[in-house]
Amino acid sequence: MNSNTTMTHGVNLDALGRKPQSRKLENETLCIETKDLNLFYGEKQALQNINLSIPEKRVSAFIGPSGCGKSTLLRCFNRMNDLVDTCRIEGEITIHNETILDRAVDVAELRRRVGMVFQKPNPFPKSIYENVAYGLRLQGMKKKRTLDEIVEKSLKSAALWNEVKDRLHDSALGLSGGQQQRLVIARAIAIEPEILLLDEPASALDPISTLKIEELINKLKDQYTIVIVTHNMQQAARVSDYTAFMYMGELIEFGDTDRVFTNPRKKQTEDYITGRYG
Amino acid sequence: MENSDLSTSSSPSSFKHPGQIHNRLRKFKDQAARHIIAFGGISVIITIVLIFFYLLYVVLPMFIGADIHPVARYKTDSDAQTLYIAMEEQAEIAMQVTDDGNINFFNTHNGELVNKISLDLSGQDIKSIAASEVDQSLLALGLSNGHARVFKHEYKITFNGDTRVISPFISYPMGEESIELDDSQQVISKIAIQDGEDALVMAVATEDNRLLLVTFTKESSLLDDEVSYEREISELPYPESKINFLLLDKEQSLLYTANEEGHISVYDISDVSEPEIIQTLQASTASETITSFNFLAGDISLLIGTSGGDVSQWFPVRDATGKEKLTRIRSFQTSSGITKIAPEYYRKGFITASDNGEIGIYHTTANRTLLTSSVTDKKITQVAVSPRDNALLLQDEDNQFHFYSVDNEHPEISWSALWSKVWYESYPEADYVWQSSSASNDFEPKFSLVPITFGTIKAAFYAMLIAIPISIMGAIFTAHFMAPRMRSIVKPSIEIMEALPTVILGFLAGLWLAPVLEDNLPGIMTFLLFGPPAILLFAFAWQQLPQQIKLFVPEGWQAALLIPIILIIGYVSFSLSPVIEQTFFGNDIRSWLSNEMGIPFDQRNSLVVGLAMGFAVIPTIFSITEDAIFSVPKHLVNGSLALGATQWQTLVKVVLLTASPGIFSAVMIGFGRAVGETMIVLMATGNTPVMDFSIFQGMRTLSANIAVEIPESEVASTHYRVLFLAALVLFVFTFFFNTIAEVIRQRLRTKYSTL
Repeated sequence: MNSNTTMTHGVNLDALGRKPQSRKLENETLCIETKDLNLFYGEKQALQNINLSIPEKRVSAFIGPSGCGKSTLLRCFNRMNDLVDTCRIEGEITIHNETILDRAVDVAELRRRVGMVFQKPNPFPKSIYENVAYGLRLQGMKKKRTLDEIVEKSLKSAALWNEVKDRLHDSALGLSGGQQQRLVIARAIAIEPEILLLDEPASALDPISTLKIEELINKLKDQYTIVIVTHNMQQAARVSDYTAFMYMGELIEFGDTDRVFTNPRKKQTEDYITGRYG
Repeated sequence: MENSDLSTSSSPSSFKHPGQIHNRLRKFKDQAARHIIAFGGISVIITIVLIFFYLLYVVLPMFIGADIHPVARYKTDSDAQTLYIAMEEQAEIAMQVTDDGNINFFNTHNGELVNKISLDLSGQDIKSIAASEVDQSLLALGLSNGHARVFKHEYKITFNGDTRVISPFISYPMGEESIELDDSQQVISKIAIQDGEDALVMAVATEDNRLLLVTFTKESSLLDDEVSYEREISELPYPESKINFLLLDKEQSLLYTANEEGHISVYDISDVSEPEIIQTLQASTASETITSFNFLAGDISLLIGTSGGDVSQWFPVRDATGKEKLTRIRSFQTSSGITKIAPEYYRKGFITASDNGEIGIYHTTANRTLLTSSVTDKKITQVAVSPRDNALLLQDEDNQFHFYSVDNEHPEISWSALWSKVWYESYPEADYVWQSSSASNDFEPKFSLVPITFGTIKAAFYAMLIAIPISIMGAIFTAHFMAPRMRSIVKPSIEIMEALPTVILGFLAGLWLAPVLEDNLPGIMTFLLFGPPAILLFAFAWQQLPQQIKLFVPEGWQAALLIPIILIIGYVSFSLSPVIEQTFFGNDIRSWLSNEMGIPFDQRNSLVVGLAMGFAVIPTIFSITEDAIFSVPKHLVNGSLALGATQWQTLVKVVLLTASPGIFSAVMIGFGRAVGETMIVLMATGNTPVMDFSIFQGMRTLSANIAVEIPESEVASTHYRVLFLAALVLFVFTFFFNTIAEVIRQRLRTKYSTL
């Protein structure tokens, strides 16, 4: 689980455009690793001894009942939990073997590398263009042409370009919920992060928009390591390569999605998947 | 479902759904709430509209012109030529002096003779007549033998049951005999008289072109109240041509003559032994002659009427060399030649009578024509105003009297008197002045709203200058950076400041802060100058400190470190204050400011007001701004932070943008509060209505002005109404700014509102 082996004899079946029949975690390049991660909100412990390795350029899904700590865990990866005053973290998280929990780490830079999309679409009250360009401007990019290019590229990647190209300078708040969520994804990928954290990205959307987001995730996983939190198990099964099941702040099981859904190793996983609770 | 279906079908009519009553009640509550809220809202609007209209109702009469109503028209028994007419205070009895030496008192309403006094002139003719300043009702008749008769017309009021009886009589302050003014016994062709405390002065022009100043110095004997007069005659240089008019001011210091060519000569007679001509000038155009030459009430301004119908106001103005020069200030054009001008008794208005039977009512300060009306087709020869300015008596060339009641309550007010520069009497130039009352009766009220409106804006400006940076930056820090626990202490503490009664703030500002500021002015300036940079410097230094030291202070609590820093800077500034004062400002910064820089220093100045009112406004702005920033949705902040923005970038690019409608309205509400604030400005400013933007000068604001003056103003007087106008201006002011602010806020909100 916490081995550092790289893919030696694995065949990248993604290139064939279909889901590989079976993956082996052992064969993947690892991206995010946690070691004995404990997280407390004040006195309450929200995460307990999480040891997890998330493979690079794959989609990993966190599932579990509400309040199990999946979003909290996700937020550890870009240290959004820092904003919670009472939050205290023990243990270690590394990204490409670099620790991120040290106070000396430049949080802004970390968050640039680890993009995040929230449950509720949160475009800024600015134009569509400015929303996408926001992250770039933060980095001090001023050249109009470069900005234009990246905005276009990002919107295309987020499959939104065709819908908004004629109204780039209209307020982003005029877009529909699904469009806003894709805009937020475009905004996140405009600054070319390595990792994309999706916190229930489709839960506030209608089925069509959800489908579009899922297609988008499928498209993006070639370039980004994607971690998605969802409590829609079908969604997890549809989009993810690996699935982690969490329960009561603990990581119960993490593995190849097909395997977790068809042949869970733990009884709790099975109970949850088969709908006995949650 | 199943169940309810069953029961409904079993007893369809009698069954009452338990929720039905509840539903009805709920509906009722909803309706009631809607109506109560609508009622409340509409009441507020109605109240505001009513206040507005009440203010308007009090203010409007000032802008309505004068009105006259004919009361009576009659002839008296006498057909001798009238020399002079006047009325007593109630306008019931008029006095007429005729050239045959009779003084007729008659009822103004019907011309019935009440009293007739025939002067014994011992064969002499009356050649001239002059009246003194109105309060004395003193008249002098110049006779053909170089003598004069001096008398007073007086009125005794008695009550016969409930009816008032006015009995007119004549008294002779200088004795019943005629007094010799010219030793060579020439005809006195013109005469002027003024009685003063120490002397009675007469000026006479004789037929043989001499101008004499006759001073009767009063000496009262110790034994009884008898006054004896000592006569002294001095001769003044006579103008080039015949004197037509002579005027002596009530201070007995200036003598004006107008000759038939329209020249005016001004004599300084303050030193009786050495009278001199100080100015000679041309007052009318060549084609016109001066037909009327009067003082305006107060004996400072001259009113010169011409045969061309032009009336001009003149008064002495001190020029650059310090000399007083009679200057033409303003003029009024009437339709036809002026025959007589009657100045009002205690106001700066006057009534003109023309040779085509027209009269006009004017006011000089307001530069306002209140009425022109044709009352007869004859030439009007005499005109008299009652002392209360509410009646008018005219006599035409047929000796017909016309008696009018006059409705002219507020002649002093016009748009220009309120909002333009006005050249007031004795002022070197036109200016904006607010000076509503004074001790003397013939004072010229100065009702310019410009200085107090200016003062309002100035006070609000300095208050905002201090409040906006502190409160907005404080709010930003509190809402965005501060640790929640510290915030939970800081925010309520600042909000509690708002509960402090402003009278206490004003009291402290006026009685404690103002003297402290005055004594430590260099210290305050040093603090204001070096405080902010020092804070920034400390913040920078803190950033450079090694991590281990920084870790001692928990995240979000760093602001607390500034408290000792500010205290130290304050202490150092204040203790250096005397040193700085000694080294740079010659030991007294106040005199340095006024002497070297030409900046006058008031103890109660804008700095004090700015600090005190800033203190009062800070909680308002802080609280609203803080709420606005704090209520920026967390998901926007997180969205920005998740894109790699620093806290600062998030603040500037997302938070402030989204909170901008709220911040804007916070500033506008603070501004509105500063504009309307009364107690602080009342107590902490000198309430001097000066027009000077200097931070070291005081001001008077609209609100303080109302508070100061409304208790002393007579209800329904012009002053009272002008104060209501000031209130209306304040109302419109805040209404205007609030409306603008609301419009802008709404636009910002539609632009930057979030989901």
